[in-house]
Amino acid sequence: MNKLGRGHRDKVQQFMTITGASEKVALQSLKASDWHLDGAFDVFYSQPHPKSFTDTRHLEEMYNRYKDPYADMIMADGISTLCNDLQVDPQDIVMLVVSWHMKAATMCEFTKQEFVGGLQSLGIDSLDKFRERIPFMRSELKDDQKFKEIYIFAFGWAKEKGQKSLALDTAIGMWQLLFEEKEWPLVDHWCQFLQARHNKAISRDTWSQLLEFARSVDPTLANYDAEGAWPYLIDEFVEYLIENGIIEKGRVV
Amino acid sequence: MTMSQMKTIELEEGWSFMQTGIQKLKKILEGLPEPQFSSEEYMMLYTTIYNMCTQKPPHDYSQQLYDKYKEAFEDYIGSTVLTSLREKHDEFMLRELVKRWANHKVMVRWLSRFFHYLDRYFIARRSLPALNEVGLTCFRESVYEEAKGKAKDAVIALIDQEREGEQIDRALLKNVLGIYVEIGMGQMDFYEKDFEADMLVDSAGYYSRKASNWIVEDSCPDYMLKAEDCLRREKERVAHYLHSSSESKLLERVQNELLVVYSSQLLEKEHSGCRTLLRDDKVDDLSRMYRLFSKIPKGLDPVANMFKQHVTAEGMTLVQQAEEAASNKAENVGGPQEQVFVRKIIELHDKFMAYVTDCFMNHTLFHKALKEAFEVFCNKIVAGCSSAELLASYCDNILKKGGSEKLSDEAIEETLDKVVKLLAYISDKDLFAEFYRKKLSRRLLFDKSANDDHERLILSKLKQQCGGQFTSKMEGMVTDLALAKENHSQFNDYLSGNAFANPGIDLTVTVLTTGFWPSYKSSDLSLPAEMVKCVEVFKEFYQTKTKHRKLTWIYSLGTCNVNGKFDQKTIELILGTYQAAALLLFNASDRLSYSDIKTQLNLADEDVVRLLQSLSCAKYKILIKEPASRTVAETDSFHFNSKFTDRMRRIRIPLPPVDERKKVVEDVDKDRRYAIDASIVRIMKSRKVLGHQQLVMECVEQLGRMFKPDFKAIKKRIEDLITREYLERDKENPNLFKYLA
Repeated sequence: MNKLGRGHRDKVQQFMTITGASEKVALQSLKASDWHLDGAFDVFYSQPHPKSFTDTRHLEEMYNRYKDPYADMIMADGISTLCNDLQVDPQDIVMLVVSWHMKAATMCEFTKQEFVGGLQSLGIDSLDKFRERIPFMRSELKDDQKFKEIYIFAFGWAKEKGQKSLALDTAIGMWQLLFEEKEWPLVDHWCQFLQARHNKAISRDTWSQLLEFARSVDPTLANYDAEGAWPYLIDEFVEYLIENGIIEKGRVV
Repeated sequence: MTMSQMKTIELEEGWSFMQTGIQKLKKILEGLPEPQFSSEEYMMLYTTIYNMCTQKPPHDYSQQLYDKYKEAFEDYIGSTVLTSLREKHDEFMLRELVKRWANHKVMVRWLSRFFHYLDRYFIARRSLPALNEVGLTCFRESVYEEAKGKAKDAVIALIDQEREGEQIDRALLKNVLGIYVEIGMGQMDFYEKDFEADMLVDSAGYYSRKASNWIVEDSCPDYMLKAEDCLRREKERVAHYLHSSSESKLLERVQNELLVVYSSQLLEKEHSGCRTLLRDDKVDDLSRMYRLFSKIPKGLDPVANMFKQHVTAEGMTLVQQAEEAASNKAENVGGPQEQVFVRKIIELHDKFMAYVTDCFMNHTLFHKALKEAFEVFCNKIVAGCSSAELLASYCDNILKKGGSEKLSDEAIEETLDKVVKLLAYISDKDLFAEFYRKKLSRRLLFDKSANDDHERLILSKLKQQCGGQFTSKMEGMVTDLALAKENHSQFNDYLSGNAFANPGIDLTVTVLTTGFWPSYKSSDLSLPAEMVKCVEVFKEFYQTKTKHRKLTWIYSLGTCNVNGKFDQKTIELILGTYQAAALLLFNASDRLSYSDIKTQLNLADEDVVRLLQSLSCAKYKILIKEPASRTVAETDSFHFNSKFTDRMRRIRIPLPPVDERKKVVEDVDKDRRYAIDASIVRIMKSRKVLGHQQLVMECVEQLGRMFKPDFKAIKKRIEDLITREYLERDKENPNLFKYLA
C-alpha cells in the first residue's frame, strides 16, 4: 500500500468501502482495470468472488447457529434470530436485499448453499461484518438498476412454491414496502384499486410492468398511452383513477 | 420561251406585270366586277416568276420576289383590311373579321400559286418559311394581333347574351373562333391564350354571380335543377361553337362555381337540403344530386356522409321504439315486439338499398355508408337482447310451425335471404350461430320445424356468406335428424323381429352426435322401471349396429305420453321425461313429500322445484300441494289429484323454460377465449417478434369474420399466454412480444 501513489491509495480505500473486499482483491481488481474505479467494479462484480478472503469455517458456524433443528436449512425461527443479532426488524426491506444477495428461492428460508454462498460473495464471515454491511445494502435500494433487479427478484421470492402468480395480499405488502423506498405517489390508490376491483393473484408480467409504469408514466398520467401494451390491470387502474376523479387528464385532483 | 431566253426581265418590269395580277385579285376580293383569272393569265404570271428566278445572277430576283410577295400582303392589309375592321364594332366587326380572314386565305392561295416556283427551289434551299406560312403570318401579325382583343370581348359578350336566353348567330361565333384555332397553324396556343383563358374567367364570374343569388333564393332541388340545366347548356355550347378541348375546362369552372363553392351550403339547406330529401324520399332529386356531385372531386363524400347519418338515425329510432315497446310490456320478453323490430330493420334495409342502387348508381361510397350505418345500430342491445339473438329468434319464428308470420314459400325464402344479409352487419356472428343452434335444436328435437327445405335453404345461404366452418355444426344437426328417422325404423324392425325384447311401450330414440349440438346437462335421473327397460332394449339394439359408440341419455329433452286415469275420464298427458317420472312415483304411493320425490328421482333441487311447479301450481293441477300456494317449498308434500279433469282428451303440460341466454353468452365467451388464444399463437408463430399494436390489429383482422374481439379481451389473452410461457415481453421494449417455441 505504501508503494502506491496517493491517488491510487485513495482509490483502493474507496473500492474497499464500497465493495467490502479485502485490500488484496481491491488491488487486483484496480490493476486489472488500469486503475479505473468503474472498470474495477465491473471486474469485481462480474467475476465469481474470490473466496479466499472469507473463512468458510466461520460461515459454517454462523449457518449452524441459525439452522433449523429439523431441516438442513434456515427457517423462519432462524431468520428471526438472525434479525435479532443484526438488530434489524424482520419486516425491514433490507432483509429483501439480503435475500437477493443470497439468491434465496423463497421467502423466510435460506438453504445452506444460499446462505453460505451469499455471505461469501458479500465478503462476510462474521456477524460484525454482516452488521456493518447492512447500511450499504440499504443504500443499494437507491440505485435504479439494482432496485429493478431486487424488485423483479421479489416476485419469485415472495410467491408460494409451485404457484405461477403472487397472492394479492403478499403482493400488496411487498409493493407497500418497495415503494416506500422508490416513491410512487399512486401506490396507495393502486393497492385500494386491487382490493376493490381485482381481488386475485398477480401475474409476473403485471408485477414487472407495474414498476415500468411507476417509473415511466407520470403520476398525472399525462404521458399514459391507452394504446400501449400495459397489462389490462394497469389499464383498468387508470380507468379507475379517472372514474373516481383521483386524476383528471394530466393533473392530480 | 424563246423570247425570255433572249431577253432578261428586269425587276421593275417583271414586278409591274405582277402588280396587274395582284390588283385584279384584290378587286375580285373586294367584290368589284372583274372577270375570273383565265388560264392564260395565270400561266403568264407563273411564267414571269419562273423566268425572274431562273435568270443568271445578278438577274436572279428570287430574294427580291420573296420580299415583294410579303409586301403585297402587307400593302393590302394596311390599305384596306385594317381600315374596314376599325370602322366596325361588336358583331359587325366579327362579321368583317370572318370575311377578311376568308378573303385573306383566298389571296394566300392565289398568290402562293403565282409565286409557286419560289417554294420549289429558293425557299426549300434556304429553309425559309413557305409562301403559305408567310401569307398567314402576315395576317396574324397585322390583323389578328390588332383585332383579337376586340373580337374576344365581342364573342364573350355574345356568349353571355346567349346565356341570358337571347338568340345569337352561332355560326358566326364558330367562324370567329375558327380563326383563333387556324391562326395557330396546328398549335392551340393562340386559342387558349387569346380567347379561352378570358372566356373561362368570364364564365366563372357569370356563374359565380348567378349562384350567389340562387343559393339564397332557391330550394336545394330547384338549385340543382338549374345547375344541371346550366351544365347541359354549357356542354351544348361547346358542341355548337367552342373548340372541343374547352369542354372539360369550362365544365370544371362552372361546376366549381355552382357546386363546389356552395356544396355544404346547398347540401345542408334547411327544409330542402340533403337530409330533407332523404327524409321525404325525394328519389329524383337525390338521383340528380348524385349526378351533379359525382362529377366533382370528393363531391360525393358529404352526400354519402349525410346518407350514413340519416340511415343511422332512422335505425336508432327503430332501436328506441323497440326499447320503449319492450319497457311498456316488461314481461313480454322475446315476444312479437322483437319480431317487429327485425322486420322493420329489414324494411329499412330494403328501402335504403334501393336508394344505393337506384339513386346512387351502386357507388361503393354509398354501399360503404349503408354498411357502416347498419353496423352502428345492428350492434346495439335492444331491450336486453343482442341483435344476434333477435335475428336468431326471428329466423326461428319464420322456420317453426305456427310462427306468428304467415308467409308464402317465396316470401319465406326472400325473408331468409334478407336476414342472412343483415347478419353481415352484425359483429357477433358467433353469438348468432350459438343462438341459432339452440333454436334449431328445439325445432328439430321437438318436431317444430315447419319445412325441411327451408332449414336447408337458410343453411346454404349462411354457408355461402360465412363459410363452411360457420354452418358445419348446424348441417350436422339436420343430418343427424335424418339419420335418426332411419335409425328409428330399423329399431322398429328389430323389435318386431325380437318379440321378447319389446318393452311394451312405444319408444322413439333420437341419436345425436355430441359435437354438433348445444351442450345439454345430463342428469342421473332414476327412471321408473318401465322406462329402464326401454333404455336397455335400445342399448342392446344399438350394440348390434355399432360397438364403439357411447350413448349418453339426455332425459331433460325427452317427451312422454302418459295416460292419466282420473275419476271422470282418462286424459292423455304429454309431459317431459322428468315430469312423467315424478307422476309415475304416485302409482306406488298416495302421498309424497318434497324430499321423498327428490331422493327417489335423484334430481337437483332446481329441477325438482321446476317440475313440481308445473304439475301443481300451473294451469293443470295434476298434483295437489300442501299447503297450497303458488310456489314450491322444500317442506311441501304432494298427492295425486284424482278429481282433475279437462274438456280436452289430450293435454300438454309444459315445463317452465329456463333462461338459456346467460349460458349461451358464457359459452360464446369461452369459445372466444380459445379463438383469441389460437389466433395470437398463430400470428406469433409466423412472426416470432411483433409489436403489441400490430399483434392486436392482426388478431382483430383474423377474427373479424366471426366476432369483433374486445381489445381488453385480447390483452388478457396475451397476458395469459405470457403466464403460460407461449410469449414473453422483450426485456428492453415492453411493447414488443416474442414467441417462445
